[in-house]
Amino acid sequence: MSRRRSRISEEEINELISKLQSLVPESRRCGSNRASATKLLKETCNYIKSLQREVDDLSDRLSDLMAGMDNNSAQADIIRSLLSS
Amino acid sequence: MEAESSTSNQQRKRKRSASESSEKPAQSTWRTDKEHRLYSSKLLEALRRVRSGSGSGSSSPRTDPPRSRAVREAADRALAISARGRTRWSRAILSSRSIKLKSNRIRVPCPARPKRTELERIQSAADQEKKKSVVLQSKAKVLGRLVPGCKKLSFPTLLEEASDYIKALEMQVKAMSALTEILSMIGGGTEGAPGMVQDAGAGTSTGTDSMPPPT
Repeated sequence: MSRRRSRISEEEINELISKLQSLVPESRRCGSNRASATKLLKETCNYIKSLQREVDDLSDRLSDLMAGMDNNSAQADIIRSLLSS
Repeated sequence: MEAESSTSNQQRKRKRSASESSEKPAQSTWRTDKEHRLYSSKLLEALRRVRSGSGSGSSSPRTDPPRSRAVREAADRALAISARGRTRWSRAILSSRSIKLKSNRIRVPCPARPKRTELERIQSAADQEKKKSVVLQSKAKVLGRLVPGCKKLSFPTLLEEASDYIKALEMQVKAMSALTEILSMIGGGTEGAPGMVQDAGAGTSTGTDSMPPPT
């Protein structure tokens, strides 16, 4: 890690980096304390991208399900009651 | 529908005062049951609006799968609202719904940095530090583009926003996958009695517990 950082306290950064490290599953597995910051940032970016892809995927499926349920009135009744609870 | 939205507004105000009075450590945000229930109800509200307003009123009728885009945006908006204005990314989502499409430019991938050779190690320490901080900066820029509204933040602020965003996204994924499972059970299984719905609800909520129990 670099020894000098202008204007920003090194401690603060280390703290935030360790917090991120505990969140991102990849770096948790490696368990390294002195993970390079660049590697962690890369893992973080990848993790966020995969989470966003998952949300996109889920919204695709949800929209299909919702379209399907419009066609069937019996199911629509159940779902309407579920959604309005 | 107005009654429901007003009660949810009241719920939101009560929850906000409750969270302000008690110490809220960062670890428990986005992980408590209360927040799961809050998000789930907001999500259902938003999805109901998408259903009733499909075609009209959605923000992007031009894209190919308008509905899934509308669902995604509704889910994001519900997530941002659940953040209760604590974070920049949530405020950015709420304030820039209409221009989000325009800002989705094609991202140019960063050129890969050459690996460090012996020669570079021999160079002065200040030089090495500068190189490292440049790589760090480029990675930080990529991160800033991923998290909404965080393109020009300082490094520590960016890291904070990113960790909050990750936790929120995880909750969003959990809630949406639980909802998807329930809906697909209802759709794929027998058309049924409310008993079936309750079973489905009980079956899927063991692990996640993110859906409100059906009445």
